[in-house]
Amino acid sequence: MSNLPALEAGGLTKRYGRTWGLRDCTFSLPAGRIAALVGPNGAGKSTLLLLAAGILRPTEGSVNVFGLDPIAEAAQVLPRIAYLDQERPLYRSFRVEEMLHYGRSLNTYWDDAASREHLSVLNIPLDARVGQLSVGQQAQVALTLCLAKRPELLLLDEPVVALDPLARERLMQVLMRTVAEHGTTVLLSSHAVADLTTVCDYLIVLSGSRVALADDLEYVLASHRLLTGGADAFDAPRGTVLIAASHGTRQHDLLVRVEEPVSDPAWRVSEPTLEEVVLAYMKAGEPKLSAAIANSAKKDGSP
Amino acid sequence: MIWATWRMSRPLYIVLLTLAAAVGVWLVITGARQESAWTAFTALHCSQPGSNSACMNMASRYYSASQFSTAGVWIGVALPGLLGLVLGTPLVAIEFDQRTNRLGWTQSITRTKWLGQKLLVSGSVAVVFSAALVPVLWWWTRAVQRPHMVNFDFDVSGVVIIAYALFAFALGALLGTLMKRAGYAFAVGVAVFAVSRFLERSYVRVRLVPTTFTRGVIVAPSNAWVVNEGYVPLDRSTPGPGLTWQSGNEAITRCAARAGGIESKSYIKCAKTLKLHWINEIQPASHFWSLQWAEVGVFVAVSAALLTLTVLTIRR
Repeated sequence: MSNLPALEAGGLTKRYGRTWGLRDCTFSLPAGRIAALVGPNGAGKSTLLLLAAGILRPTEGSVNVFGLDPIAEAAQVLPRIAYLDQERPLYRSFRVEEMLHYGRSLNTYWDDAASREHLSVLNIPLDARVGQLSVGQQAQVALTLCLAKRPELLLLDEPVVALDPLARERLMQVLMRTVAEHGTTVLLSSHAVADLTTVCDYLIVLSGSRVALADDLEYVLASHRLLTGGADAFDAPRGTVLIAASHGTRQHDLLVRVEEPVSDPAWRVSEPTLEEVVLAYMKAGEPKLSAAIANSAKKDGSP
Repeated sequence: MIWATWRMSRPLYIVLLTLAAAVGVWLVITGARQESAWTAFTALHCSQPGSNSACMNMASRYYSASQFSTAGVWIGVALPGLLGLVLGTPLVAIEFDQRTNRLGWTQSITRTKWLGQKLLVSGSVAVVFSAALVPVLWWWTRAVQRPHMVNFDFDVSGVVIIAYALFAFALGALLGTLMKRAGYAFAVGVAVFAVSRFLERSYVRVRLVPTTFTRGVIVAPSNAWVVNEGYVPLDRSTPGPGLTWQSGNEAITRCAARAGGIESKSYIKCAKTLKLHWINEIQPASHFWSLQWAEVGVFVAVSAALLTLTVLTIRR
């Protein structure tokens, strides 16, 4: 059982009418990892999480959670996963305590003591109406509902979006403490790439509805280099794969995946930040946009 | 989801209960007033309504007390539908609207169970509330002396009320699930409910139980639902092939006109020469309960189909 990946997608595709939600996605997330799912708006992050949670049905391909189909085998999958929607839906007319009752009555496993402790540490009163809580408190209640069922795979869609920095930090603390205690696999989507370096150890980059990169975070950082060269340097050196390039009049910046150390003296080699790597993959995945930029640059006809 | 549905819909249930109770009280008051006025009027043994002033007064008292009886029938016709739609349309639509379906679908119960328990709770409320209306409306139709087989009185007395409420509930639940907006679903639901009820009572109801035929008597038995009436050939109880109930009447009217006028004598003579007799095709009062249960069967079957469609839509 433990050898099975927590989440595995094969040719996973979701189409909404004419537009692609997700296109031919193939990757595998090993169990026990904390994975960051990043990509620009509309890249398919939410779609991927909804497919993994069994809320949406794939148009083509397959997605498996611990080797099980989240829709066909929902009865086995649902007790093992938790999903936090981007809008953190709760019943606004319920009291916090009633939200806990809701979770307790609908789940096979429910850690009532832990959920109450989470909320009391955060000073969220159990008799308050959900609709009267702040956005940050609502996010905490929603997360508490996810954690109390003690999932093996936790799917979080933008868990910190719309939260102030303090609420953000608190939420991540609660999350990380619980996850570390139980060895939960986490897949969390986010815009804020910089925030993720400290908590995540796996990276999935979506761009243009496709998977641009899915790998161990340390390996990703170790296998990419930023190359800076003068006007005479142009093509990516041998042993590297070009991911993205920006050409200035005096200088070229390349982000490459390296297969062997770069020894070409024409290039200055430096280690990229995670943000730079992610940004390069996002750009690479949007062919229309980069082509449009290239075209407009040509038209400008700079000397 | 049983507790959650109950908790979520509790304010709605309270409003509906209050409304149903208010309607019930109104029916009891108007019904009792009309009944007592009628009892007082008959106790006077008035030979003609205008014979003396006491009779006149009592007759006008009865008349004013009976002013509400039409409104009562319309309330009785509309209430089961409104009750069912108000409970059915928001059941799933409101979850989509607040996105709480995503919360519910990722707890440990399957979607089918999630929906099934919601339908069970609110559907039971629709059935229980409408069932509570049955004895009140039954007593009321008796109190205002309405016969139970004709006009809309069949629709407001007996167990059919529960079946209409269940049908409206199932219709509302399906529309709410498909349209994901309770308001639109309710508006469409009202139209669909009204049209289906009209079509059923106009074309389907009469065929649910075989009709009976009475011959020779021009006036049908009291409290019977006269489906067709007219002159038909002597050896038949229905118009012959290619003929309508109207054609016999037309033939005899033409004959009577030739024979010298519209007196009953010439009609009797013409009926003899044309070999016709008067037939009433009726649903007699004795068919009341078999018609009621047959109609319950129809609406329960349609409701079951609508609820199955709702489950299939949610499972997709």
